[in-house]
Amino acid sequence: MATADLTNRGALPNPDVKKYEDVNRDILKVLSRPGKGWWVLFSIAVAGVGLFLTSWFFQIYKGLGVTGLNAPVGWGVYITTFVFWVGIAHSGTLISAILFLFRAPWRQAIYRASEAMTVFAVMTAGLFPLIHVGRVWHAYWLVPYPNSRFLWPNFRSPLVWDVFAITTYFTVSAVFFYLGTIPDLAAARDHARGLRKKFYQITSLGWRGTDREWHHFSKAYIYLAALATPLVLSVHSVVSWDFAMAIVPGWHTTIFAPYFVAGAIFSGVALVITLAVPMRKFFGLEDYLTVKHFEAMAKLILLTSAIVLYAYLIEFFMAWYSGEPAERGSFWNRAFGHYWWATWIMLICNGFIPLILWFRRVRRSIAALFVISIFINIGMWFERFVIIVTSLSHEFEPWAWGLYRPSVVEMGILIGSFAWFGFWFLLFTRLLPPVAIAEMKEVVPPPLRRRREAVP
Amino acid sequence: MSDGLKRRDFLKVVGVSGAGAAVAGCSTDKVERLIPYVTPPEEITPGVATWYASACGECASGCGIRVRTREGRAVMIEGNPDHPVSRGGLCSRGVSALQGLYNPDRVATPLRAGANGFEAITWDEAMELFADEVGTGGRSLFLTGRKGPTESGLLNGFVNAVGGRRVIHDALDDSALREATNIAFGVHTLPRYDIAAADFLVSFGADFLDTWLSPVQFAADFAEMHGVDHGEGVDRETKGQFVFVGPRLSLTGQNADEWIPARPGSEAQLALAIAGELVRRGADAGPYTEMVAGFSLEDAAEAAGVEAEALAGLADRFAERSSLALGPGLAGHHEGAAAANLAVLILNAAAGSIGQTVHIDAVADTEASSYGDLTGAIAEMTSGAYGVAVVAGTNPAYSLPQGSGFRDAFAAVPFKVAFATTLDETSAMADLVLPDAHPLESWGDSMPAPGAYSVRQPVMRPVPLYDSRPMSDVLLDAARRMGRDFGAATFHEYLRSAHDAWLGQNGESTGVVGDPNALWRKLLRTGSVSYADLSPKVASLQAPTTAVDFGVPGFAGDGDLTLLVYPSPRFGDGTHSNRPWLQELPDPVSKVMWQSWLEMNPATAERLGLRSGHIVNVAAAAGSVELQVWVYPGIREDAVAIAMGGGHTDYGQFANGNGVNPMALLPVTTDEGSGTLALVSTRVTVEATGAWKRLASTEGSSDQDDRNVTPAVALSALGHSTEEDAEDAHDQLRELQEVGGFRPVATEGRAQDYPLPGSDFGPYSEEHPRWAMAVDLDKCTGCGACITACQAENNIPWVGEIQATNGREMHWLRMERYYETVDASHSGTVDIRYLPMLCQHCNNAPCEPVCPVFATYHTPDGLNAQVYNRCVGTRYCANNCPYKVRVFNWYRYTSENIPEPMNWQFNPDVTVRDNGVMEKCSFCVQRIREAGNRAAVEGREVRDGEVRPACQSVCPAEVITFGNIKDPQSRVAAAAGNERAYRVLDEVINTQPAVYYLKKVTHHDVDEGGH
Repeated sequence: MATADLTNRGALPNPDVKKYEDVNRDILKVLSRPGKGWWVLFSIAVAGVGLFLTSWFFQIYKGLGVTGLNAPVGWGVYITTFVFWVGIAHSGTLISAILFLFRAPWRQAIYRASEAMTVFAVMTAGLFPLIHVGRVWHAYWLVPYPNSRFLWPNFRSPLVWDVFAITTYFTVSAVFFYLGTIPDLAAARDHARGLRKKFYQITSLGWRGTDREWHHFSKAYIYLAALATPLVLSVHSVVSWDFAMAIVPGWHTTIFAPYFVAGAIFSGVALVITLAVPMRKFFGLEDYLTVKHFEAMAKLILLTSAIVLYAYLIEFFMAWYSGEPAERGSFWNRAFGHYWWATWIMLICNGFIPLILWFRRVRRSIAALFVISIFINIGMWFERFVIIVTSLSHEFEPWAWGLYRPSVVEMGILIGSFAWFGFWFLLFTRLLPPVAIAEMKEVVPPPLRRRREAVP
Repeated sequence: MSDGLKRRDFLKVVGVSGAGAAVAGCSTDKVERLIPYVTPPEEITPGVATWYASACGECASGCGIRVRTREGRAVMIEGNPDHPVSRGGLCSRGVSALQGLYNPDRVATPLRAGANGFEAITWDEAMELFADEVGTGGRSLFLTGRKGPTESGLLNGFVNAVGGRRVIHDALDDSALREATNIAFGVHTLPRYDIAAADFLVSFGADFLDTWLSPVQFAADFAEMHGVDHGEGVDRETKGQFVFVGPRLSLTGQNADEWIPARPGSEAQLALAIAGELVRRGADAGPYTEMVAGFSLEDAAEAAGVEAEALAGLADRFAERSSLALGPGLAGHHEGAAAANLAVLILNAAAGSIGQTVHIDAVADTEASSYGDLTGAIAEMTSGAYGVAVVAGTNPAYSLPQGSGFRDAFAAVPFKVAFATTLDETSAMADLVLPDAHPLESWGDSMPAPGAYSVRQPVMRPVPLYDSRPMSDVLLDAARRMGRDFGAATFHEYLRSAHDAWLGQNGESTGVVGDPNALWRKLLRTGSVSYADLSPKVASLQAPTTAVDFGVPGFAGDGDLTLLVYPSPRFGDGTHSNRPWLQELPDPVSKVMWQSWLEMNPATAERLGLRSGHIVNVAAAAGSVELQVWVYPGIREDAVAIAMGGGHTDYGQFANGNGVNPMALLPVTTDEGSGTLALVSTRVTVEATGAWKRLASTEGSSDQDDRNVTPAVALSALGHSTEEDAEDAHDQLRELQEVGGFRPVATEGRAQDYPLPGSDFGPYSEEHPRWAMAVDLDKCTGCGACITACQAENNIPWVGEIQATNGREMHWLRMERYYETVDASHSGTVDIRYLPMLCQHCNNAPCEPVCPVFATYHTPDGLNAQVYNRCVGTRYCANNCPYKVRVFNWYRYTSENIPEPMNWQFNPDVTVRDNGVMEKCSFCVQRIREAGNRAAVEGREVRDGEVRPACQSVCPAEVITFGNIKDPQSRVAAAAGNERAYRVLDEVINTQPAVYYLKKVTHHDVDEGGH
């Protein structure tokens, strides 16, 4: 059983796909000459990356004063966006590794895209700690490296944990992602010509598809999946400890680790939907990304939405129950203070809008899911904004309360970060098969058999 | 090197832009300036400070100062503890003299007005011109500020010699009080008040802690009178009571125990009614006894819009206690100013305070400012009586209302000379500008009280960028050129001979005897000399020689709000507006920086639909201004207030364009008795413009919101130990611990408790001291001198209006102000609490574990240190600081905001911080190390009190105590053991701060908040 399942890798029988050749053709055609639409999007992304870099260099040159940050709000849009992207990065590993280990049959069509999303999201997230520090040219001091001054980072600081968490996560998810693409890169190699062929020749590492190779590949994949799985839980737990370890009212809560992990999966799955819907449409992958897949993701959203809503509400309850004036004040301010609108955006987008997914019709409507996923993306960004900004603006000392307004530069970097992510994702759709060819083939009847005898 | 992107900056950008590349330029600024001595002068040791005792020249109070110089540059000013009047305290304005000295807008060379503005000329040309014009250019008018006795003598001698006229003008004009003293006692002088000797103090609007007469001296006296002493055994009689009567709570008013929010102009009625009540109870008011008996409390209460019972309560205490009433201050100058001052003097007499708390010297004060004289001079200037006008140390073109006609009159004078350190609105109109030396560069003296003489000596060579000469030297030079001889080549010689002459004349009688040279040297070393006050005193009222109208004055205009114009505690009349430290010092009352604001009662604001920050048009008959509203519960509903000092047009880069000048609204109304300009004389209408602009304010919330960060204790509860309450609190905590709560350390903070259990994360050492601070909130008046001193000592940059509006001011110390009880609608208790908040140097510092690179850590002597060079700028420490005392360098504030030569003031012992690093209070670690080194060299321990942080070293009220808390004998350990001691938020978050606050003591019952 184990062996059969391993090769099967939890794939879902898909009656719409006919032949191995179809799989190769349908998916690899995506990699052919890009159309106008792609170029338009790509130009926008490049322009956005330009905005991103210009804003950042301007900030480095002038100082962090070009942001809206101040005392008491020392963290704002940058850390909000950092946490947002780290959160996004979680669904990829969840979908590919955890669902792989749990043999969830619906993952095979979306895991490649979501893994790519993971890697690019971590690449985006990882920039923000650099962007937000005052002296980025000294940021490498957070890395423990031997030096003549015998200076080490402070291992008690959650920011150092962050460095480890993010770099580990990036390494593992990148390797996992790359490993999974090797057979498909080989398939692409076999279809490509010229420079592209050269590129695939190198990146496919001479994959020939022998039994021995598949055997090793499967082993490596399952081990990496097992290695990546705890990271899904640990990375965002560590990120949440940036806040939970601090004594700021509104941050200092034991619920943060599970709450953040659930939120990360929630937002990550939402972004997978946001990306998969247009990808499916533009590349004509309706046969591979089916309504069933979307419905399964919708259920995951419903579950995680319930968890985050519970977390939101229990935080308010605990603040009241604690009887602590600073804690109560912080949450009163969160709901009814200056940033009330952000809090209510968060609650409505993340807590209440997903409730309509209880209806099967909504879950099976691609358009509805797309709209809901956009709301969730917005809501989850605001969740981090609410946690960071409203808490900092209203701490212990009443005299030191203050407000924060993001600046143009911060907005440029926020928008630019989406462009940076989009830039890589668009390149991905052209250079790598966006749906796992090898795994899709597992659900297609082997060519020697007749259709009727499809694999159970 | 050209401007724009520098190579090093380029490298920085390139270094980080390569993804993950670890290339970086060294980030510290270029080393440009080395100690410029090839052959060092003998008295200067590089790295060792030289202190000069001197006298402050910033206002007429004449406080004693000590100036710290390093390598020949003045870097810090502190109070001189040996000075008989100021006793070691100093105010923000005094500290900011350094920014007058190094002001980039100082006049660099003599200037002559030409067709295209000013052109530079040489001193020779200038002297020629000056001597020529003053000698032959027609009658001269000398318009000057108040000067020290010797300089004034020279000036008067010069003016007499050239046949001119001298008019003294100080916009902070106390001639109403002088006139009242003249009417009441027959001497044209100012009374001297002994606040410390009183235990019941009533101020009828006199802002004695802000600007009135001698604020530093009064702050010290007030602390003595109003503070509860620490130490064992509380003597309840030591806490005096202070009642403020007036329409607006100034800084002084905020320190009151009770507030009687009387209508502006009703002071005379109130004072006389209380005097009348005292007379009815048998007191004697001399020749006024019969007159005051005619004033009833009910009528006065009616006139003032307050409750008669409150006045009766005042009368009771006047009758029973050693009392002192202070006359309406400058902010109470209206048409009846002299009458009101007289009424208060009569009240003092009726209460038996003359000779007890009020002293009248029978010596006329000649160095007196008078607006009456100035109006005469304006008329004469207009009529062409003067060929030459010399202006020095006064700025009437700015500080007088438009209607006074000064500008036109002055412009009509054929030749105008200005002695000026920096150009201002008046000197900008001159034909010849002579760069005057700053008081810190020149000789002078002051006589702040009979029996207290201090000398002002130059503390450094004149700043070489500016070719300035002291006015006194210029006058001597001009006299020589005109063939007159004052017997001295320089003013230094003149001063020396005046000193010796005084010794010869008065040495015997005052007990100042000895070799004149030795005495002079001693005077220079100590800065001042005090001797027996032999001046005769007047003890009783004399019958009035003129009829005085004590009625409530009417105010011009048809608005429904009376405009109160008051001297700014930061800028005075506007003389100090060109100091960025003061511009960025939050106003002690409104906490606004860089801007002007209109104070308005919340009820009035609600009626007009306004909130703080709304821009309004304030219109009076004389003109109108636009400014932001600041809603303040401490002002009557029928009044609005604007501080002086804003709206400069020609006073340099730091003053121009900031705020508005309320003089634009004032008609020329003078006091009937003394002729002084009335600052409270018009009604205004306030109209919303619809615009709103955020106030550049440090005020987050004035409501403690149950956090209890400044608890108070009632006087009646003092001495009754609250140990039982403390036990209860500890029981609760233990209960919490049993169910898994955090474990606060139950400690009284005794010396032997260090290091505290649970706080041994840092490398504490048994041998090291544990530095700690105690702040007595009962004495703190919230004046903010500590903030400016801290800024001067620690090279803290200013950030400007826009940055300050964004909440990025860099102060390491801030003065929080919480309203507990403030109600302008009726008389009663007022309770406003101050909390000077600085780094608490917690034993369990939340900032330390979160810093990823150990840029903040604990030193073995318990300091929470910040290593600027190690800081990466994550700002995590600031987020995690519950006290919010960490400030971040958002820009290169130091190099971009501080122009040459203001950076000459930098303290060489303190690192100048660059862009992107965090900073905060260091407990003046440089002073701790200096004292430690000195002690080590001398083979001893650091003595208690040897280390005095900058904030402590200027505080006039001696609020701050600093020392080693592990030494049970130290003063700080004693303070920490005081029953009033508490630590902010410690019980909530177990930070175990090293700063102990001593609760404010109130006369009314307070809720101690369960702690």
